[in-house]
Amino acid sequence: MSQGATLTPAVRFTRVCKRFGETVAVDGVSFDVAGGEFFSILGPSGCGKTTTLRMLAGFERPDAGEILLHGERIDELPPWERPLAMVFQSYALFPHLSVARNVAFGLERRKLPRAEIDARVRSALELVRLDPGVFGRRSPRQLSGGQRQRVALARALVLEPPVLLLDEPLGALDRKLRKEMQAELRALNRELGTTFVYVTHDQEEALAMSDRVAVMAEARIEQVGTPAEVYERPRTAFVAGFLGDANVFEADSGRTVVVRPERMRLLRPGSAVPDGLSSRQGEIRDLVYLGDREHAIVGVGPVDFRVALRDPDRFEGETWRRGDAVVVAWRPDDAHPLEGA
Amino acid sequence: MMRRGARWLAAHDRVRAWGLLAPGTLWLLAFFVLPVAIMGAYSAMERGLYGGVEPGFSLASYARFFDPLYLRILGRTLWLAALTTLLCVVIGYPVAYAIAGAGRWKHALLFLVVLPFWTSFLVRTYAIMFLLRDSGLVNSALLALGLIDEPLTLLYTPGAVLAGLVYGYLPFMVLPVYASLEKLDPALLEAAESLGARPVAGFLRVTLPLSLPGLVAGSLLVFIPSLGAFLTPDLLGGARQVMIGNLVQQQFGAGRDWPFGSAASFILMALVLAVVYVFLHRGAGALPEEVE
Repeated sequence: MSQGATLTPAVRFTRVCKRFGETVAVDGVSFDVAGGEFFSILGPSGCGKTTTLRMLAGFERPDAGEILLHGERIDELPPWERPLAMVFQSYALFPHLSVARNVAFGLERRKLPRAEIDARVRSALELVRLDPGVFGRRSPRQLSGGQRQRVALARALVLEPPVLLLDEPLGALDRKLRKEMQAELRALNRELGTTFVYVTHDQEEALAMSDRVAVMAEARIEQVGTPAEVYERPRTAFVAGFLGDANVFEADSGRTVVVRPERMRLLRPGSAVPDGLSSRQGEIRDLVYLGDREHAIVGVGPVDFRVALRDPDRFEGETWRRGDAVVVAWRPDDAHPLEGA
Repeated sequence: MMRRGARWLAAHDRVRAWGLLAPGTLWLLAFFVLPVAIMGAYSAMERGLYGGVEPGFSLASYARFFDPLYLRILGRTLWLAALTTLLCVVIGYPVAYAIAGAGRWKHALLFLVVLPFWTSFLVRTYAIMFLLRDSGLVNSALLALGLIDEPLTLLYTPGAVLAGLVYGYLPFMVLPVYASLEKLDPALLEAAESLGARPVAGFLRVTLPLSLPGLVAGSLLVFIPSLGAFLTPDLLGGARQVMIGNLVQQQFGAGRDWPFGSAASFILMALVLAVVYVFLHRGAGALPEEVE
């Protein structure tokens, strides 16, 4: 267990369970988050990711299992005694307090001297790139969604928590702003060395920001790994499908495998299939234009394959049309066997 | 035809707005503004021999109100109304708080709060008399338990009036406070807790300030009718616990002094306006808090 302070995980869940009445919300969930890590819990709505985060924050009590923070059990502690801070999905800014008083709230509870509170509030607002002179006295009602988000972040970060919890904090922002905030959150995580536990249902967001991702489905963790691991080598059909387009089918070996569309290519029938590639014959049923790429839906027997069309195909003058007979080819080591399928 | 009419109305915002406002406006003009204007005029006229008024202009009725006898009545009225409001806050706020957090029982509990409105206030006030009189339920019970040797005087006391007023107006405190607590986003309290606020601090710093609008509305809804109450002090207070409402009623009835009754009404109205102004001013001033 204890292997020195550096190896103690910032957060550890051990077989944590939570049920609400008849519904099992979280079923035997275990994972470790390393200090300073950006850790995401990714899953569809109702998978138990928010309940997991709420148990870490202390708003829900686990029915079984243990939650450790830097090696200390915290699942018995009330929220106000846990050294954590949280950014809420709805921001949960206090509407009756000015921006500065919102940010000062946690410091005031700690009964710090006024001068220190004011100084820390100012630097927290500057950290999230809000001018304290301009925004400090405003009411949260006068702010845009993105600015509210920043205030919520400042209110949590001003406490200098070792672990910051974020519950779908970017859900309400438009796409462009979301991308900007993603980059800023990532930078804050690196600069401050704070451990981030981030809950989201957006797989693109999780892949772009995280050091590691835990994919949850139906109250259980399906897989934990780096973004590349969970995307390239999904362990289950659910993970494969949730993280992006996936071709799940039975390989010649008899095992169920997954191949990503961009790991497949199309060839004309009769053309030589390069050495060592696996292939299937099929017919293009549809072409799907996706802006930055295009997918061909290829009917191979009863199943449809999704194949990403590459730019080089176009440079080579290849034009694919609906109804074309084609060969779908892929490298066998891009076909990853799935568990329990 | 219908659709054309509807389209014409939709295109004429003003006509539509006036059309919607007209019934209420006319009603208030006929039954509020006009009578108040008449009362205002009466209050500055001379008293008729058998009620009614004689033409002329005199502020004698207003001057007469500053007799210590009437000032005492005014003082008692203000004191009882303030105490009623305070007790309604102390009793009603926890009730509203509990109902707002009662989950699926919410609607059943709200139903219970408004249930008394199903019977007339008069009947309910008589029921309180049966409870409080010398041979009433309270005295009988205390006698039977041997806690007292002779009946306590409960009826026709300030306490009885206060009990009746608080009972009567409590729902008007519970409902608006409930409404403001119900709107409160539970995430705000969780945010407070995650920032280190214990439940008491969370209540004082978040819940209470955010339910202030409900508390102000409820206080007005209790304080104003308490100022003008006449049925409760009449039945539960008797001749010795006269409030302004009783005074006004007497002047228009047995007293046959319509100008004085009107003047007393106007003084009451001025008081109500002053209270409303102060309440709303301070209630609004409480939000939003600013930093220095």
